[in-house]
Amino acid sequence: MNPLNIELGLGVLGLLLLLAEPFLSSSRKVLAYVAIAGLLVALLTLITSGGSMSVPATMQEFYIADALALFYKGVAIISTLAVIIISLEYAPVLNKFVAGDNARGKEAGLGEFVSLPLFVCVGMMVMASAKDLITIFVSLELVTVSFYVLVSFMRRSAMSLEAGVKYLILGALSTGLLVYGMAWVYGLTGQMSLDGIQKALVNWKGDNTPLLFGAALVLAGLGFKVAAVPFQIWVPDVYQGAPTPITAFLSVGSKAAGFAVLTRVVETFTAKGSVIGDQVIQLLLILAGATILVGNLSAIAQTNFKRLLGYSSIAHAGYLLLALACVHQHSLAIAPRNIVAFYLATYLPMTFLCFLVLSAAKAQGVGEDLKSLKGLGHKSPLLGLALTIALASLAGLPLTAGFMGKMFVIFAATYESNYLCLALAIIGAATGFYYYFKVILTIYSTPEVETEKIRLSVLSKVMLGVFVAAIIVIGVYPDAIQHVLVAAVK
Amino acid sequence: MITLNHYLFVSGILFAIGLTGVVARRNILTIYMCLEMMLSAANLTLVAFSRFHLTDGLPDYNAQALVFFTITVAAAEVAVGLAIIVALYRTKHSVDVGAVDNLKG
Amino acid sequence: MSPLEIIILLPILAALAVWLGAPSRGTSLAISLVNLAIVATLFVQYSGQHVDGKMAYQAAHTVLTTPHIQFAVGADGLSLTMALLTTIVTAAAVWCTVDKERIYYTASLLISAGALGAFLSTDIFFLYAFHELALIPTFLIIALYGHGEKKEAAWKITLYLGVGSLILLAGLAGVVWLCSPKGALTFDLAQLKPFVGKDNAAWWGTYCFFTLLLGFGTLVSLFPFHSWAAPAYASAPTPIAMLHSGVLKKFGLYGLIRIALPLFPGAIHTPWIQQALLLMLLGNILVVGLITIHQRRLDDLLANSSVMHMGYIFLGLASGNALGINGAVLLMFAHGISISLLFLLNGKLRNQVGTLEFDKLGGLATNAPFLSIIFGIAAFASIGLPGLANFAGEVLIFLSTFQGFDVTKGFTMLQITTILSLWGVVISAVYMLRAYRKIFFGAPASGLFVSDPTLSQRVPMFFLSAVLLIVGCQPSLLLNVIQSSITAIGLK
Repeated sequence: MNPLNIELGLGVLGLLLLLAEPFLSSSRKVLAYVAIAGLLVALLTLITSGGSMSVPATMQEFYIADALALFYKGVAIISTLAVIIISLEYAPVLNKFVAGDNARGKEAGLGEFVSLPLFVCVGMMVMASAKDLITIFVSLELVTVSFYVLVSFMRRSAMSLEAGVKYLILGALSTGLLVYGMAWVYGLTGQMSLDGIQKALVNWKGDNTPLLFGAALVLAGLGFKVAAVPFQIWVPDVYQGAPTPITAFLSVGSKAAGFAVLTRVVETFTAKGSVIGDQVIQLLLILAGATILVGNLSAIAQTNFKRLLGYSSIAHAGYLLLALACVHQHSLAIAPRNIVAFYLATYLPMTFLCFLVLSAAKAQGVGEDLKSLKGLGHKSPLLGLALTIALASLAGLPLTAGFMGKMFVIFAATYESNYLCLALAIIGAATGFYYYFKVILTIYSTPEVETEKIRLSVLSKVMLGVFVAAIIVIGVYPDAIQHVLVAAVK
Repeated sequence: MITLNHYLFVSGILFAIGLTGVVARRNILTIYMCLEMMLSAANLTLVAFSRFHLTDGLPDYNAQALVFFTITVAAAEVAVGLAIIVALYRTKHSVDVGAVDNLKG
Repeated sequence: MSPLEIIILLPILAALAVWLGAPSRGTSLAISLVNLAIVATLFVQYSGQHVDGKMAYQAAHTVLTTPHIQFAVGADGLSLTMALLTTIVTAAAVWCTVDKERIYYTASLLISAGALGAFLSTDIFFLYAFHELALIPTFLIIALYGHGEKKEAAWKITLYLGVGSLILLAGLAGVVWLCSPKGALTFDLAQLKPFVGKDNAAWWGTYCFFTLLLGFGTLVSLFPFHSWAAPAYASAPTPIAMLHSGVLKKFGLYGLIRIALPLFPGAIHTPWIQQALLLMLLGNILVVGLITIHQRRLDDLLANSSVMHMGYIFLGLASGNALGINGAVLLMFAHGISISLLFLLNGKLRNQVGTLEFDKLGGLATNAPFLSIIFGIAAFASIGLPGLANFAGEVLIFLSTFQGFDVTKGFTMLQITTILSLWGVVISAVYMLRAYRKIFFGAPASGLFVSDPTLSQRVPMFFLSAVLLIVGCQPSLLLNVIQSSITAIGLK
């Protein structure tokens, strides 16, 4: 079947939900359940017919449905599912900051809040398949523009608006850099498709400076999306101000889709024989080292959990970039693109777990500061255990998913003989031990004021269980993910 | 005779003005206009390259397609962006970047 | 299912059950005694024969195809000895934990499972991973329930061990790279071949070995990477101090014997590596030894002495011959038992007396003769008196360094180090005997009343000191089993 059908289906579903909202007399939560059902169907379709996807000849120029694309489509759908489930938990907060005084209790805004993630999902799924500058640009913008709305969704909250404005300006800036870079890459190579660009780069004669200029601008534009230093400045503020489910979405979905595109673009630039290959790798290594260092070191001093997760997300982007830059090593027998995909698959459950707990806590009147999480481990032992496992995984403790990703990155850096970056990765991971363990310690220490037990809906409990299981299963049996990646390659 | 380089030069200047404005200006609306200028610079570059890459005597229409997409996306961005800025103005009564400094760690 | 998998999984499941509300002390104690029984049976049954170089009770499940990682367990004399140590100390530690919150039991069980997994895995990945499993419980317990400067101590141990294990990870990446059969990366110890570097590639092996030495060394508190150990043990609650200093710390030494020495044969004899190691271990024995003398509290003294004694074990490794390794393994076992017994008594005193400062203690032997006898046995064992387990290990180590002594050439650096280390025995005699005298003899300090423990509480103490005595009088019980494996992994 045509893989684009899934994207189209989800897009239409999003529009229908948007249309249905004004006419709905019952609770708006129905819309969320419909969206969840739709996403589950999409996920099932992707899994069952993943092997038999074929792209029509007319689309092959700009659309690809290889293993990597299918994998990232899966990641997009799963993260959208998780976001909608978390949104249901977060609904009281949304209502408070969206509805006017006379509209309280009517679940105002929940309808849009459910359909917009579907549009983002469509964008991310197309990004996973894009292999043409135009497709990359359009799908990326679909994601970005929807995110502008989502980030500033709580229009009566100054925080949310501030985050929205910051994301808007820096996002638009990155768009500008990206398009200008694309214009140069296109202008010099005369090609729009990545395959064509790769051929042109290999056959290039003469000075490669203008090519580098274009490539660097494109990388900078994409660097904004994945939060690489020095394009990470928006992350902490936007993460803190945005509605928590959207922060989670930015942190996982947007980053994964960004890396899907980045993987293809970097592979094009650094293809064997490319005239700018070495310089692009150098550039990536510098970005990776700086990102690991800045992300980890800035996280140390954070007292706000959301902000801390923001810096942690920057740090993880650093490891991912490092993996992407290790293109020469073949000993590991895992290509950089697969290391990145694997890492993102492990990053998804652990990050969503943290944000799920944060959302539920916020909706039940607990703050987002670290100190308001005190005693969580005693009040809600299961929730505490889940959060502990997620944080241990983020820190990269063995037998959790997070360790496998980090191990691959450290091995790749060793085999690539990148000892400086290896040292930075080790320093970063050690710093990570500090700030993640600090959170673990907080949730098990005795609170100053009595706190209520945090309650979760059934749906959230299911999600919690699935993600905790995923962290442990991937950590102990990494072949589970590897099979998906490798099988899809064949 | 106006060559490709002339167009690239002008678009480069346009891009630089836009970037400088984004970095240096304090008014969010002005910043937003500068961002639009950067997109226009990219459009000009694309059109220029397209015009000078003749295949069989015809320009390369791929680039012009991208230009149309860019214009459309820019319009969408403006629609969403201005709405956010208006909402900001309603709560803060200011559109100065100094007004958005509540979030810090 | 291999019995080894059962003994690794049991404590993990029990920990989960306890965390979710099962009766904590009963479950934990039952599981640790069951584990002890299983391991003891396996140990007695172990014939010492390696069929085709294979280990006993092997089982393997592939978890990752490329590079090849499997959850593989297997036992030989070396790992069985360590497993025996683990289960003995776990049983004692759980037994002595009374009236504590469930998190104590969960932590003890998890640390025990981590240690067992590390000692019994035959795949580098899980060997490494299981050790780290113990990191969070150790950290949490010290930070939440420790004594004194608990937060600081908890951070120190976590960060040191974290960095140490990351360096170790880089070293293991090197091992997998250098020693895998051509074209297929594997983490399986049975498939990894000793690294033979051609002339200009030999330095790879040396550097990889050195990285491993630093990584594992940090986990064993090798001087100068030792400063995490003393505060952490001094502040840790009793069961955690017992398990970490007695068992988990031995993981680094075990890793060196299991991975680094056989896969990089000869690397230990590289002059600069041997010299560096000798200098570092002298730091452990002499520098830390002198620091120990100056301690004024029992917990600080024990914590530092535990760091100091690691020096002897490293000396056994530095000798690089089978005799030295045999002695090192025996000493690992003996030290594990004696230090956990000492920490157990330390905890008892802390609970009953409320102070551990020598100046405020004295004359306890009058009211608590049993305690004083047990403490005496543990202290004498720790000094290395004949008839107790540590002696056999230390003697073997000292003798091993004189293997191949050539009268015409005089002492080598190794032998000079040994002679200096012998002073360490004097140092430990000084501080241990002084501590013993100050606590149990002399004028009773006013307002102190200490009674002997109840019958139930005497069981673990009696048990541990019995092990010390039996192994001390009959070290061949262990050595027979250890010896065969040391030869089998290719050390001569």
